[in-house]
Amino acid sequence: MRTAYIIPTGDEIREGIVRDTDSPELMRQMLAFDPTMEVTRLSPVVDREDTILRTIRQVVERRPTLVVLVGGSGGGHRFSSTLGKDYTHSALEQYLTQCSWHEIYGKNGHMWCKLLCGEKDGTILINVPGPFVEAQAAIRAFLEAWGRGLELDQISRAMAQAVFEQYPAGAAERPD
Amino acid sequence: MEQEYIIAHADKTVLRISGLKVHGLDTRQLEELLEKKLHTFVRVIGVTGEHVEMDVYNLPPEQIAQDEQGVIHTVALAEGITATDLAKITCNKKIVDVAYDQIPDRPISDCPRERWMKIR
Repeated sequence: MRTAYIIPTGDEIREGIVRDTDSPELMRQMLAFDPTMEVTRLSPVVDREDTILRTIRQVVERRPTLVVLVGGSGGGHRFSSTLGKDYTHSALEQYLTQCSWHEIYGKNGHMWCKLLCGEKDGTILINVPGPFVEAQAAIRAFLEAWGRGLELDQISRAMAQAVFEQYPAGAAERPD
Repeated sequence: MEQEYIIAHADKTVLRISGLKVHGLDTRQLEELLEKKLHTFVRVIGVTGEHVEMDVYNLPPEQIAQDEQGVIHTVALAEGITATDLAKITCNKKIVDVAYDQIPDRPISDCPRERWMKIR
């Protein structure tokens, strides 16, 4: 039986300022994908890199099939003092010694989103962005690619493409 | 392992509304309310107990500023948001393009925009 953990991140989620609508949507899609999957949603984690990293370590020790981190995927505080602290992708990158990642930048040079996909000790770890439509698209793409047995690179690419498609129509350029 | 950069060529205006009381906000509901009002894509990118920051795509700041009260009224329709007497638009700026082909590769600790700013 597959087991999965959903880890929402963000002070605003933890404090109830913003309702966590992503986790129920992720769980809905995961259960539609595999009705036997045992899915656990953890209490939201604060926007601190060390706390997120510690939580990832603790969860992977339980040897789940899948870990999904939610939110904190953009540049956040690195680009704007009024935005939240986005540490999920950097914590995940620290934890995963090898992973595929895709960074989506705006034409203003800001990193809008970084998605990672990796495996450690038999557990697949991914992150999805906080905005609902992006989280929804990313998990849908993940489950479809994972279900087809694709490699991590292909899964990561499919997720990034799905998130990219949530932005208004515009040409994508992939630098050489 | 694959590691790739993608550039999204989308025009957007960063819009922040302050002077709000926010608790229990459904960000997607707020996006849908504003998308209906402004007839364009809206994405909530930052929320605190006092303000909401959003990306508004393909709409110039001037057009948003023309109906500041209407925008605030719409925002206040979202569950979890109450507009106080002090509610106002505190940021309404179109993003500035960077020339990606002129950005130095280093230092890698800086984001592309930071590296671009240093050569201007």
